[in-house]
Amino acid sequence: MLTLNVNGSTRHVDADGDTALLWVLREHLGLTGTKYGCGIAMCGACTVHVDGVPKRACITPASSVVGKQITTIEGLAPAGDHPLQKAWIAEQVPQCGYCQSGQIMQAAALLQHVKQPTREQIVRHMDGNLCRCGTYQGIVRAIERAAKEVAT
Amino acid sequence: MSTFAVPPGRWSRRAFLAASGGLSVALLADGAIEVASASEAPPATHALNAWITIDRDDIVTVKSGSAEMGQGVLTSLPLIVAEEMDADWSRVRVEMVTHDAKTYGNPKIFGMLYTAGSTSIEAYFDTLRRAGAAARRVLIYSAARHWGVAPSQLESSSGSIVHHPSGRKLRFGEIAVLRAVSSVPAITDADLKPRSAYRLIGTNVERADVPPKTRGEQQYTIDMRLPGMLHAAVLRAPVEGEAPTAIDAVAAKAIPGVVDIVRLPEGVAIVAERCEAALAGKAALKVEWSQASELRSADSEQDLQADVATAKDLNRRGAAWRERGAALAEISRAERVVTREYATNYVYHAQLEPLAAVASVGADGKSAEIWIGTQAPSVALGVATQVLQTTPEKIRVHLLQMGGGFGRRTMFTRELLRDALIVSRQVRRPVKLLWTREEDVRNGWFRPATAQLLRASLSTDGNVEAWHHRIACPSVAGYYSAENLARANNRDLFVMEGAELSEYGVPHLLAEHVITTRRARIAAWRGIGAGHNAFAVEAFMDELAAEAKADPVEFRRRHLAGNVRALAVLDRVVAMSQFGEAPEGRAHGLSLAPYKASMAAGVAEISVDRTSGVVRVHRFWAAVDPGLAVHPRNIIAQVEGAIVWGLSGALKERITIKQGEVQQSNLHEYTFMRLRDVPEIRVEIVPSSAPPSGVGELGVPMTGAAVANAFFALTGKRLRHMPFDAERVRNALDAPGNHQS
Repeated sequence: MLTLNVNGSTRHVDADGDTALLWVLREHLGLTGTKYGCGIAMCGACTVHVDGVPKRACITPASSVVGKQITTIEGLAPAGDHPLQKAWIAEQVPQCGYCQSGQIMQAAALLQHVKQPTREQIVRHMDGNLCRCGTYQGIVRAIERAAKEVAT
Repeated sequence: MSTFAVPPGRWSRRAFLAASGGLSVALLADGAIEVASASEAPPATHALNAWITIDRDDIVTVKSGSAEMGQGVLTSLPLIVAEEMDADWSRVRVEMVTHDAKTYGNPKIFGMLYTAGSTSIEAYFDTLRRAGAAARRVLIYSAARHWGVAPSQLESSSGSIVHHPSGRKLRFGEIAVLRAVSSVPAITDADLKPRSAYRLIGTNVERADVPPKTRGEQQYTIDMRLPGMLHAAVLRAPVEGEAPTAIDAVAAKAIPGVVDIVRLPEGVAIVAERCEAALAGKAALKVEWSQASELRSADSEQDLQADVATAKDLNRRGAAWRERGAALAEISRAERVVTREYATNYVYHAQLEPLAAVASVGADGKSAEIWIGTQAPSVALGVATQVLQTTPEKIRVHLLQMGGGFGRRTMFTRELLRDALIVSRQVRRPVKLLWTREEDVRNGWFRPATAQLLRASLSTDGNVEAWHHRIACPSVAGYYSAENLARANNRDLFVMEGAELSEYGVPHLLAEHVITTRRARIAAWRGIGAGHNAFAVEAFMDELAAEAKADPVEFRRRHLAGNVRALAVLDRVVAMSQFGEAPEGRAHGLSLAPYKASMAAGVAEISVDRTSGVVRVHRFWAAVDPGLAVHPRNIIAQVEGAIVWGLSGALKERITIKQGEVQQSNLHEYTFMRLRDVPEIRVEIVPSSAPPSGVGELGVPMTGAAVANAFFALTGKRLRHMPFDAERVRNALDAPGNHQS
């Protein structure tokens, strides 16, 4: 039995400590916004925040995040209106949508630390998140839009 | 008329209508209109033909025969209906259909429920706008009867019918609960809106699926969770054609939560209460495989070399895909013939959602509910009825959005869904069967590697007189169905599309497919045949221009005489890119590449690191003519995405096979374009009076040749084998000249 703090709530999970956080979130807790894409931290679809830092849930043992604050896409903003989510809609970024939770979580961690990221900082920070539909230009535009809106 | 019967005890259209107090409009094949309403419910088969349902809350629900995989079809298809119907767009909903191909099937794909080949808009545009116009007419006639006025006095306006002389107005939902008029005049061409009257088509409405996709709320197959559901992971044979001969499941069964081990035709399923237990069980499983498959000798490099030899062996005639004039005779007597070889390797879809299927087989073993994201609901239904030896009405299909399709989710259901049904039937519980990324890569259905020989004769004034394009590779259509290939006289669209040369006025043409032995699982990949063929065609055009000592733009223009649409996209992209005026150290390459009825041209701006051999694409411009632009912002997004896809394939992607085994296992070995590799892309839509045509793949065909041609402009050397990886680029740079033969 594990006790985790997910999206501000204490959750008891009947899983082994070495279970990947990804499966705990998706299958035990039903937080399916965090996606499985590769299982080896190559695509970023499973990105969540652990104490505010972006982590790949697919290679994160659940035991390693006990006592830490875990945030998933479902908990990023209670009403789903994080500046990035609004910017994602304004730019109509998603196509199939499968990678987008991970993209948004990765981008949110950037904006927490760098309020006005340069194009180069965005590219470096987002480079580990794959999008097979090729929405990359939209992702960059949306991050820039969100940064601008937060600043004004 | 549909023969679909409603499964008893589940739901029925009649019950639904009664509950919602709605109106359902069906457009019959002969153009007549059938109306069903709650108060006078017709036979269920009539109502089930409906494309459009209106309920008392003004919600207009439109059926989509196409499935959503990110291409935006759940917006663009209902937009067509809403336009003709004059619906309030904010009240329009859409529902993907899963049954009744006879009514809803894709006329471009044998009438099946099958979403592929960028066909949706082209296939359904006319049907949907007539359905919309028919619905509008029924609403007008119903309101006219209610008010006792002539229908000709009424107009529609964004979700309402109005009678201007009296100022009366009824919302669609208010009319829906009235007694409906059951017979109205059929819709003719004259009843359809002219383009100048459009107020929705051609605008950038927002996609309804975008907000949930930003909140992690969009549900894909892999997200399904059902009460009592078990998880199945599958270990599949390392080589196609092999089966398990001995299974040592002792260690796997010792893992807490593992409940069963199920032998499958090509592998073994580990069934567990939890996903992680199924995956651990898979890792612990020891299986011995048969050693009988002929494909154990498959070797992607050797097999391609064999196809290259076949392509060059002119004694071996292929199946003609396009033929006009007498190309072979012209070339054999021509004074000046240019011959070049091109090749492409296997490529994998890498759709980001790994494959999953959920099945719940009934206690009788003859019925099931299935949940699946598939491009081919008709195939899924066929698989389920075949596996359970039952009839279609015993199968309830829940169609989910796909985490990427790209051709991967077409025929795959044959294996994946079959196995989910077998497992669920055995364990008597709902099962989510997952192929891990490793299983998906190793058991991928790849775009076939191709060996291509191109020959052309040039006249003394430097015009192409005859063109001969030979493509040696296995048949994808034949792999899907040998019968269908034979019936089509060996004409394989999956391999040959894009070899038509329809844009250029070359008098003598032969494009032929020399069908070789299949050595891997093969399939359509975004761009289908045009992905590999347009690369060879447009790279060759560039080589011919150089041979004719002509400018690449001028050379193409003079072969495009009279092709207004092709000239328009060509001229536009030349202007957008300021073609030929690349910054120092870079160069431009041009490619003109239609896809089906859509026209497109692209320009790549590249540089090359001569030491490492890495080609970098800095900027890419595309001008496209998709006919009527139904949803412009989405068209641009689709083309942008497809350019990324195409460039990724041109520069990076390659599956290799040795001793029958796929050498790549996951996304660290099969790499595709990341953000840092993505060029600045600009796409423009060229205004067009043509009917709407496909855009999902339109960006792909132009990419390979644009890069190869830019490489020539920069270095004087040719790249003729995709992908242009660093080693091939270095070899090209070291090659003495650009002449191949």
